[in-house]
Amino acid sequence: MNTFRTIGSRIRSVVGSSEGVPRPQQDSPDPAAPQEEAATSAPESTGNAKKPLSGPAALKRQGPKGTQGFVTYADEPLNGNVPTGDPLTAWSRRKLDYKLVSPLNRRKFKVIVVGTGLAGAGCAAALGELGYNVVSYTFHDAARRAHSVAAQGGINSARAKKVDNDSLERFVKDTVKGGDFRAREADCFRLGEESVRVIDHMDAIGAPFAREYGGELRTRSFGGVQVSRTYYTRGQTGQQLQVAAARALQRQVGLGTVDLRTHREVLDLVVDDGRAKGVVVRDLYTGEIEAETAHAVVLCTGGYGNVYFRSTLAHNSNVTAAWRAHRRGAYFASPSYIQFHPTALPVSSHWQSKTTLMSESLRNDGRIWVPKAPGDDRPANQIPEEERDYYLERKYPSYGNLSPRDISSRAAREQIEAGHGVGPLRNSVYLDFRDAIGRLGKKTIEERYGNLFEMYFDATGEDPYTEPMRIAPGAHFAMGGLWSDYDMMTSIEGLFVGGEAGWGYHGANRLGANSLLSACVDGWFTLPYSVPNFLANHLGEAPLPADHPAVERTVAEVRERTDRLLSIGGTKGADHFHRALGDVLYSGCGVARTEAGLKNALKEIRALREEFWRDLRIPGSGRELNQELERAGRIADYLEMAELMCLDALDRDESCGAHFREEHQTPDGEALRDDDDWCFVSAWEHTPGKGAHPGKPVRHAEPLDFQAVPLQTRNYA
Amino acid sequence: MSAPAHSRSASTPSTPHAGHKGGLPSVYAKLIMAATGAIFAIFVLVHMIGNLKIYMGAEAFNSYAHWLRMAFYPVLPYEGLLWIMRVVLSVCLVAHVYCALLLRRRGATARGRWKRRGLGLDVFAARTMMVTGVVLLLFIVFHILDLTLGMSPAGPDGFQHATHEASYAYSNLVASFNRLPVALFYILAMGCLALHLAHGVVSAVVDFGVGVRPRVFSALAGLGLLFGLVIAIGNITIPVAVLTGVLQ
Amino acid sequence: MKLTIEVWRQEDTTTKGRFVTYQVDDATPEMSLPELLDRLNDQLVTAGEEPIAFDTDCREGICGTCGITVNGVPHGKVPNTPTCRQNLRSYDDGEHLKLEPFRAASFPVVRDLVVDRSALDRVIASGGYVSVDAGTAPDADTRQIPFKVAEQALDFSACIGCGACIAACPNGAAHLFAGALLSHMSTLPQGKPERSKRARGVVATTEEEFGPCSVYAECVEVCPAGIPISAISAVNREAARAAIRRNKDN
Repeated sequence: MNTFRTIGSRIRSVVGSSEGVPRPQQDSPDPAAPQEEAATSAPESTGNAKKPLSGPAALKRQGPKGTQGFVTYADEPLNGNVPTGDPLTAWSRRKLDYKLVSPLNRRKFKVIVVGTGLAGAGCAAALGELGYNVVSYTFHDAARRAHSVAAQGGINSARAKKVDNDSLERFVKDTVKGGDFRAREADCFRLGEESVRVIDHMDAIGAPFAREYGGELRTRSFGGVQVSRTYYTRGQTGQQLQVAAARALQRQVGLGTVDLRTHREVLDLVVDDGRAKGVVVRDLYTGEIEAETAHAVVLCTGGYGNVYFRSTLAHNSNVTAAWRAHRRGAYFASPSYIQFHPTALPVSSHWQSKTTLMSESLRNDGRIWVPKAPGDDRPANQIPEEERDYYLERKYPSYGNLSPRDISSRAAREQIEAGHGVGPLRNSVYLDFRDAIGRLGKKTIEERYGNLFEMYFDATGEDPYTEPMRIAPGAHFAMGGLWSDYDMMTSIEGLFVGGEAGWGYHGANRLGANSLLSACVDGWFTLPYSVPNFLANHLGEAPLPADHPAVERTVAEVRERTDRLLSIGGTKGADHFHRALGDVLYSGCGVARTEAGLKNALKEIRALREEFWRDLRIPGSGRELNQELERAGRIADYLEMAELMCLDALDRDESCGAHFREEHQTPDGEALRDDDDWCFVSAWEHTPGKGAHPGKPVRHAEPLDFQAVPLQTRNYA
Repeated sequence: MSAPAHSRSASTPSTPHAGHKGGLPSVYAKLIMAATGAIFAIFVLVHMIGNLKIYMGAEAFNSYAHWLRMAFYPVLPYEGLLWIMRVVLSVCLVAHVYCALLLRRRGATARGRWKRRGLGLDVFAARTMMVTGVVLLLFIVFHILDLTLGMSPAGPDGFQHATHEASYAYSNLVASFNRLPVALFYILAMGCLALHLAHGVVSAVVDFGVGVRPRVFSALAGLGLLFGLVIAIGNITIPVAVLTGVLQ
Repeated sequence: MKLTIEVWRQEDTTTKGRFVTYQVDDATPEMSLPELLDRLNDQLVTAGEEPIAFDTDCREGICGTCGITVNGVPHGKVPNTPTCRQNLRSYDDGEHLKLEPFRAASFPVVRDLVVDRSALDRVIASGGYVSVDAGTAPDADTRQIPFKVAEQALDFSACIGCGACIAACPNGAAHLFAGALLSHMSTLPQGKPERSKRARGVVATTEEEFGPCSVYAECVEVCPAGIPISAISAVNREAARAAIRRNKDN
């Protein structure tokens, strides 16, 4: 690529642009000083790294001494292949640089797209529309079921139609600032720029967006934003967009450009000669292991929040495809950046399987409070006004109940830990609609949130019209994911990533209604440009034959692993380990983290992993529909990924966004970022380990350059 | 260059196409049923109104019956109107029954082995369409043999055929209904007609593609039942009147 | 609460199935049906038996993956509520639950409570879409859609594709599903240019895969998305309209 620039100038530009803007407080004690001598790289890591950048690398910052035993560090910065110059025009300039494939040659290229969510279905459909030969995989029985379907609130777009002073630049500012300056700024510009076409396209393919009485698209506002740029369809935005995308995919299936293969789970990636050349899948209905090869592979396999067991995610969401790719050489970016949604249902019993999400839009009218007195046992309606603490309104007066998710979640946790929690397990806070009902009437509230209230009643048996809802932070969105460069290509050539499985836009905290957007932008308007750019270099090459040693080896490894899982012959089902892992992560790597807690979690995860491989029981065989086997495979991968999450959280010796290290906070208890030392994204490389355990991961670092949005302390007060 | 289509599994359960391929499309069959059913509904309404003329006395009733044969004479030949109606109704009947059997078979195939059980009273009429339909079909055959052709054993003793000059519908009817089993069968058939119409009206409206909102749908169901009951009760009064001696 | 649960067990599509009775002693009223099955499966795995296969995913009623027939009613006792949002609150202590897969010839059993609903997707692939390629759409604000029209379209597009309407239908008909699709698309201006073409494709495939509608209206009793009854009349209406318009696409 012709877009390399020296890291030195990039770092200088950060320093230069940040002069004169508020910086994070520098006077707090810093437990880990830079350790120059430790910046030795693992020798095996350099082989897979992208072309190193020259110049003074200022990326030698490492975690506290304690991390040293667990991880190693690459000494060359990672190149994100970001266009140089003005980020505002970066995407159009980059598109102009991309190579094209002529329409007649497109049929000759085969692309595997894994996942049929908004990103996967969009990418597969768009590539199919262009004339490529696409194979689309989903483990669901239908494309439409992918978890994008569950997003409730809306989709942001920088259309800036209203006169509320929105703009592309403000969209980027909100997104970068919301992500606490750990996102790639240039990616955010692309996100904002393409967001306009996303709305137009999704509307055109039949998503019935809410309309104003004048017939124009209607918007509302969402957490972390003071303008109205969220487009929506009642509380079912994700469903409407997902189903529309799945229909577009079905259109290509009908036209024969996309070969959609349902109920097939990708269990490994075929890598040959450093390039991704295919996948190995298991037909969940028959147990058959199949291989498919192609010119390129795109993973749109969603997030891994389900690692916490009880989360807002779907039961079957998993990290397996991404994790298998990671084990084959794809770097994993910021695994510890997990967003805890502040308005999830609290856990109230052992068999409760998820912390169902109550849309953030509820915070538009609901007021969040806890009793002022810790341990107050009175029913909510008997606690008088003056004994209630509307802590979000008190602490963050300008954003109030609409403060960003990480801040709201942390504030809730703080209240719960201080003994103000409500409900039978004292693990929740109130979200009260009394005032809104008084002001707007029950009918209006019913119109706005009727289905959510119903859902809440179904789950809890409590009526939110008469008593406040109880909510608690629940694991929700993974900002981390497979690392990719600006062109969405991972560190394995030919392997692309899109949607929540990737990492680029959301930094350390995602803004509400930006996830549907990022999935749509990746799928419809980024990958269809960047994948052909890669393909263009490989005209005339054939995909690997089925009997190629690399394919056969990968298939054999998948079979071997499946057999190994089935042959443990222990006593406990897979869910047992998943629940246990969730408990470990919620307490050790949850809303707030400490060095001691993380180290303890690491120890527990290792012990749990050993127990898993010793005491797992999977009844039945691998030659049939065996959901226990499916779950066991996913949990085996979660047990490895959880360790990397904790290592990343331990290594990142600062607080940023959703990653809150208690060691690094302002006197007010706010996240204290350390831009001098941590203004980069950590991308972890897998190394083989012994037995059940992965080896010491190697941390690569891609410096982050903020040109348009100067580094500043997030302040929502 | 062609991509290898290796290890593409064909082993997954292949869904049987549980519907039908070829033949008369079911949507058309339903439209035919709706159209012919609507003709029958109008016919039974008119028929009932005619029947009620019996309360105006034998003369009035007989002259109405006579008029039916002579209507539009000499533009139409003797019994011209009746024959037009007979042909139209017969064609409708054949089409209606054929489509019913076709749809019935398709429905049973598409449902498969495990039938839906334990449905409530609200779908009683819908679920018994085939039963009520068969009863009505038998009734039509009987009714023609009885009061049109007067063929025994269906027809009453002393049945008098209509002539070019007069009709004996009144006495034929009274004679027929004076046989208790015939009167009871007639009443049963009218009950079936009510049920058949109750669902038939709703079904026809929906099949004609009229998009009714849930509330209108409920109202429609009530309206269908009311329509069926009006016709059934109107007709049932006659055998009752005969049996109780009101009509002699 | 204690529950006796009779579950349909079937190894695969070709083998014969049967009911097996189990007992769960520590069910709680707030448990959802999938959570009850989680509990039961935990018992079974611990006892070394094969757990019950059942489809479940989002568990908040939007993905349409779950679907169990409970005591003869698709999704369960509470009307218009998906399996995953049916709680044991609506059942009594000691009650007997009979769990079966969705029953329809178009939904062959894959295993236990899991059925193959790919027929629904074949309906969509035969025309249930708008033929607009990525990037070619006009500014969405230039296409003005009255508030109520958008709302009405949304009433139909709310379908989650669970297949309960088919399982509830004594005829195994999919008119609620297909009609919702056609109504949604014909209500919005975006769907109008290929309205007739779509109707021909969708109706033909619906006939190939499913049974005829006899207006039992059982579908609307179970539909978790609350698709209105008017959807089913759209199948005949759109088919008739398309037939009248002969070779036209719109």
